Amino acid sequence: MIISVASGKGGTGKTTVAVALAKSISYCQFIDYDVEAPNADLFLKPDIKHINNITIKQPYFLTGLGKSFKACSDFCHYNAVAAIDNKVIFFSELCHGCGGCILVGPEGSVRERDIKIGEIRKGFCPPGINFLMGDLQPGSMRTTAIQNELEKNIDHDNHVIIDCPPGNSCSMVMAVRSSDFCILVTEPTPFGLNDLIISIDVLKNLKIPFGVIVNRFGIGNDEVFKYCRSNNIKILLKIPNDIEIAKYYSQGLSLIDFDSLWKNKFVCIIDEIEKEVSVK
Amino acid sequence: MKVCISSTGTTLDSNVDPRFGRCAFFIIYNTDSDTFEYYENESRNTMGGAGIQAAQKALENKVDAVISGSIGPNAFKVFQSSQIKIYTGVSGSIRSAIAQLKNNELTQTAAPNVQSHYGMGR
Repeated sequence: MIISVASGKGGTGKTTVAVALAKSISYCQFIDYDVEAPNADLFLKPDIKHINNITIKQPYFLTGLGKSFKACSDFCHYNAVAAIDNKVIFFSELCHGCGGCILVGPEGSVRERDIKIGEIRKGFCPPGINFLMGDLQPGSMRTTAIQNELEKNIDHDNHVIIDCPPGNSCSMVMAVRSSDFCILVTEPTPFGLNDLIISIDVLKNLKIPFGVIVNRFGIGNDEVFKYCRSNNIKILLKIPNDIEIAKYYSQGLSLIDFDSLWKNKFVCIIDEIEKEVSVK
Repeated sequence: MKVCISSTGTTLDSNVDPRFGRCAFFIIYNTDSDTFEYYENESRNTMGGAGIQAAQKALENKVDAVISGSIGPNAFKVFQSSQIKIYTGVSGSIRSAIAQLKNNELTQTAAPNVQSHYGMGR
C-alpha cells in the first residue's frame, strides 16, 4: 500500500507526519519526493549507500560552419534557442531536452550531451526503513525528471510512505499519483483551509481517496473542521500546537520520540487506511 | 539608424512600455527618414522566454538600438550578441523617447535592469 502525505500550504507538517508514519510501522519504504527541498533525511538519518546521478539530454550547437540555426530557434517552444545570424545563444535552464532542435537543425551540427540535474540517494534506517530521496540541483527546473526516477524505484510489494512537495502543481501530482491513499496535512487557519480545498480538488480529479490530519490544533479557527464535516471528509488525527513538539522537531526528532503514544495513533491510522483501500 | 522601442500602442503618442519581452507592440523607428512601422509582440503570451524571442525578432529587423522601460537578463544576453545600443529606464511617449535619443540624452545600459519574469508581474 502506498500512502502519500501532501499539503497545499507549505510548512503544515507533511514531513512530521510522514516520518512519524514510517517510524510507527518500522518496516516500509520511505520516499522524499520534495526534490526541490528534501529534508526527511534530517529526521530519519538514513545511512546513504547509493547515489545515482540523474541527467537529461541537452543540445550543443556546432557553430562556426556558417550554418543558420534559425530552424532550431523557430521550433523551440520554450525559447531556449536564440539564433542570430550564424550565432546561437542557448538558455540551458529553459531547455526541456526534447531533442527537436537536433531533428530540425542543420544536419550533424546539433549534438546532444548529458547534463546532470540532480541525484537520487538510497539508504537504510534501522530497523527496516528503506529510504529514497531525490535532490534537484540548484538552478535546474526539472523537478519532475527527478521524480520520474523516484517513481521507477517504488517498492510495490511493501508499505510505502511518500513525503510530497508542498503545493498543488505538477510536482505534487507526480508525488501523489502512484498512491492508494493520500493524507492531507493542514492547519486550522484560513490559509490552511484555502489550500486544503485546492488539494482536495486535485485528489478528486485523480480519484485518490484521502483523509485529513490537522496539525497545530488550537490555533486559528474551526473553519477547517466545519468544512470537513459538511463535506463528509474524515479527519484522521489532530496534532496539538505544542511548543514541546516544536522543540523536538528542531532537534531532528520525530513525534514518536516525543511521546510513544503517537506511535499507536499512527499505527491505527494505517490500519484504518488499509481497510478503506482494501474495500475499494 | 533603426531603433526598436517597446510600446503600449501603435502610434508615436503611445507610451514606452515598461516591459520589453511582454510589451504590447514594438515600434521600429528610422531616425534617418523619420518614418516608423510597428508590429504586435507575439511573444508576450509565451510561457517563458518572451524576452529571448522578442529580442531575436528585433535583431532580425536589423535594428541598431533598442529602447525600453526594462530589459531582463535573457533578452539582454541576446542583444549583447550583436553590437546594438541598449537604452533602459525610458518612459513617456515614443515621440519624446526618439527626441531624447536624437539629442543624445539617453544613456546606454550595460546590464539588465530587472530580474527574469519581471514582465509577468512577479
